[in-house]
Amino acid sequence: MGGTKLNSNQAELAQLARREHFTFFGLTLPYLVLVGAMIIAPIGWLFFLSFIGRDGSFSIENYERMINSKAYIRIFLTTFKISILTTFFCALLGYPLAYFMSQISRKWANICMIGVLIPFWTSLLVRTYAWLVLLQKKGLVNTIAVDLGLLSEPIKFVHNTSGTLIGMVHIMLPFLILPLYANMRAIDPHCVKAASSLGATSIRAFWTVFFPLSMPGLLAGLLIVFVLCLGFYVTPAVLGGGKVIMAAMKISSNIELYFSWGAASALGVVLLAVTMLILFIASKLVSLDQFGQRS
Amino acid sequence: MKSFCMVKKVAVAAFLLGFASFSTASFADETLRIVSWGGAYQKGQSVGIFQPAAEAMGITVKEDTYGGISDVKLMVKSGADKFDIFSSGAGGCASGGAEGILEKLDYSVIDVSNHLPGMYSDYCAGADIFSVVAAWNTETYGDNGPRSWADFFDVEKFPGTRAMRAKVDSQLEAALLADGVAKEDIYKVLDSEEGIDRALDKIRSIKPHIAVWWTSGAQHAQLMKDGEVDMTTGWNGRFDVAKLDGAKVAYDWKTGIMDWEGYGIPKGVKNKDLAMKYIAEMMKPEYMAEFAKYITYGPTNKLVYELNLMEEARARQMPSHPDNAKHQMTLRTDWYAKWRTIAAEKYTEMMTE
Amino acid sequence: MTDSSLNISIKDVTKTYGDFYALKDVSLEVLSGEFLTLLGPSGSGKTTLLMVLAGFTSPDYGSVRFGGEEVVLKPPHLRGIGMVFQNYALFPHMNVAENVGYPQKLRGVSKEETRKSVENALATVKLHGLGHRRVDELSGGQKQRVALARAIVFQPKILLMDEPLSALDKKLREEMQIELRQLHDSLNMTTVYVTHDQKEALTMSDRIAVINDGRLMQLGTPNEIYRRPENAFTADFIGESSLLPAKVKNGIATIGSKKLKGAQKLKEDGDFMLVVRPEKLFIANKKARDANHFEGLVEDSIFQGESQLMVIKLDPENYGERSLRLRIPNGSTSLGKLPDINEKIILGLKITDSYFVEAANGRD
Repeated sequence: MGGTKLNSNQAELAQLARREHFTFFGLTLPYLVLVGAMIIAPIGWLFFLSFIGRDGSFSIENYERMINSKAYIRIFLTTFKISILTTFFCALLGYPLAYFMSQISRKWANICMIGVLIPFWTSLLVRTYAWLVLLQKKGLVNTIAVDLGLLSEPIKFVHNTSGTLIGMVHIMLPFLILPLYANMRAIDPHCVKAASSLGATSIRAFWTVFFPLSMPGLLAGLLIVFVLCLGFYVTPAVLGGGKVIMAAMKISSNIELYFSWGAASALGVVLLAVTMLILFIASKLVSLDQFGQRS
Repeated sequence: MKSFCMVKKVAVAAFLLGFASFSTASFADETLRIVSWGGAYQKGQSVGIFQPAAEAMGITVKEDTYGGISDVKLMVKSGADKFDIFSSGAGGCASGGAEGILEKLDYSVIDVSNHLPGMYSDYCAGADIFSVVAAWNTETYGDNGPRSWADFFDVEKFPGTRAMRAKVDSQLEAALLADGVAKEDIYKVLDSEEGIDRALDKIRSIKPHIAVWWTSGAQHAQLMKDGEVDMTTGWNGRFDVAKLDGAKVAYDWKTGIMDWEGYGIPKGVKNKDLAMKYIAEMMKPEYMAEFAKYITYGPTNKLVYELNLMEEARARQMPSHPDNAKHQMTLRTDWYAKWRTIAAEKYTEMMTE
Repeated sequence: MTDSSLNISIKDVTKTYGDFYALKDVSLEVLSGEFLTLLGPSGSGKTTLLMVLAGFTSPDYGSVRFGGEEVVLKPPHLRGIGMVFQNYALFPHMNVAENVGYPQKLRGVSKEETRKSVENALATVKLHGLGHRRVDELSGGQKQRVALARAIVFQPKILLMDEPLSALDKKLREEMQIELRQLHDSLNMTTVYVTHDQKEALTMSDRIAVINDGRLMQLGTPNEIYRRPENAFTADFIGESSLLPAKVKNGIATIGSKKLKGAQKLKEDGDFMLVVRPEKLFIANKKARDANHFEGLVEDSIFQGESQLMVIKLDPENYGERSLRLRIPNGSTSLGKLPDINEKIILGLKITDSYFVEAANGRD
């Protein structure tokens, strides 16, 4: 057979491979465009605006203000404190539930999952106000508890940090459970069996085998919850009673107060920077893909 | 400009006469869009003022809600065209005017000759008067609640939980009144950072007793209705509505800090002239009297009282009724224009301590 | 070396799931140091039986004894067994050495001891020096060896294996079969091995327990199981065979109108099956007294490397619509030319190779 024929064939095949490559890349294109248009560009714009002062010229007054006023530092601390606590309690409540769901049959797990997801079908505002109705001073819980003589005086559940946490944990729980449950389902049940056949008590088998294998799902859940918490607005505003001021609330009130995007975007920029710093440190401490591989 | 207006007017008239059967809404020039705060307040405005005034002029007025003067700023700065008139507190208008985002009102078109003194400004035509008061739960205190700001800040004489606003507006005035400053001198004292700090320190002194910092009128009304707090600062009209709803709530006009609401026009709206005429129409006393039937926010036009357009009993519930007004101080928007950001940041700092 | 292994005594073990009997009155003795295979099709209950031994499944009733000690109520981690799972069940978050050292760590063995025993175990399975490897860097065969090393590192007296080779390709599987058998001989652990692959069972086992529908069908050495199947299921499941239905009356077996002679004495009347192994059939040039004969047409002839497989359609007048398989080793020149398709031939089956099983619960 002639060599030339093979050569021309080779060129065509290479072109075919290139085209396939290109098509493949094309699949990511809508996402890239979306990220570019909806995330990169606005963040860049946000960054730019944060250096625009009230009079419209370049200025660092928006950042100066944050350094000079203790309120901003406190608001950031509150934001991180509430986010960390919410994440912690979500893990505390969500892990056992996800574990339980991963151990029962798929049919029952699906029923449980509906229970977990039902809150998603109601608006966040409704759920938040529902907590208020339940937990306020003359709310359902306090009234019943006082009437039954369980409490001599109503407990202050809401309009404070605890109220905010109750509301936020409730709203955030599914975000922790979903990735965690998916991860736990994927854990080979034979691994735990192997551990106990090799001599591990069920508790030991859990901590040495199941728990480490559920880490990727747990970390993903923690990360999602933590990051979503940082931007929370409605729940702390309603259930915090003004005692819990988070960054998003100050961002909103700064737009009103200064009539400019700059004063608000500077807050957004700092929040973003601190969040990225935290995630960077976290990723150094725990390698996120460490347990990602399955045998 | 003027002649062009005439042409338009003639054209409008021709249309109205010739094609009366057509919906007038199909012509942009005859449609105005107005925004307000929603809830019981806007319901009263809509039924009492917006729609009757529109009908009288033969135009269409579409209503919507908005989030305050910052929305006006966003609209003007971005060149969007969403509404022609907005309902706003005097303070909001004042800061909007200072920002240069509002049209100056033409008082040769809008007749304010019968307005109560000070109830209109360059950028805001006053429409109703409301008061910030100290309201108490009558279940807790009976009739003898905090009848002065001094009482409100006296946690020994009046033990119980309190609520104050999460924003600085009217709260510093109340604190200074409680601290013994005469109502004429409030803004003199507040005209320095030391004065602002003095007011804030007064609030700090009762901070452990403040259970809630409220963010909306609906919220403080609900707080009283649910008995979540024993007393709160808030708007008189909201408490009156809550009372009709069964809330155990009372307030004394002696704690009143009068403030007013009016209409402004964002800079550069196409229907500016029609908007101006519409505002002029809305200033008529009969609309204000009708509005006051729905919520206890009093008229700025004193003709309402002089012409006896309101029943005596209802009139006595208005903040601007002479018998009520005489006890009260009036909020000054120029102080807010000068000090708002500083005072607001300090207030937030105090809240987060 | 007798104390390095234990015998297993299973008595009347029954396990039901609703109406379904996963195991029905299974009784079985596994001798100390024996390599016993539980062989059966999928769903037969063989894995359930293994899980009962391991302690992961509790039977409804019945007894399991390890060396005389009743263990049926003992949790898995106290049974002291080594177990190898079908999909290896290696811990993906540990490297090879950590996987193999895991049982030692649980037993509080010192670090130095653990290191040594891990090295030994890895050497035993021919994985020297791979201790630092990540589990996902290993090939299927290597993973299987690690799983095995992990199961034997603490020198258990009983080793259970649940289809450990099923995920490997054929060549590797055959190598591993021999290796596992050699390993068993050197370690002398009592081994219970589950498989559905009869060839694997025949290759590796001291004895085979054939299991079907939750019941023990037959227990015996590979040779016994192959040569003397006790029922139609075993005859059909083990090795290649064609089953011809026969009627027995007064000790005489007949197919259609033809009489058959058999190796065993038939005392009972009823329906039986003649087990015909393809390699035992031969092409008969003339009828002989020591054999049964079947006439038929060559329907198909397939070259299979080491042998030629032929399908012979039996004469329908005598046998009904049936065919037999005939296997002739290739290269055996003595037989001369192979018959052609559609050629009429006579097949012979020696009487000593003619074996009947009861048809009662057989499957055809």
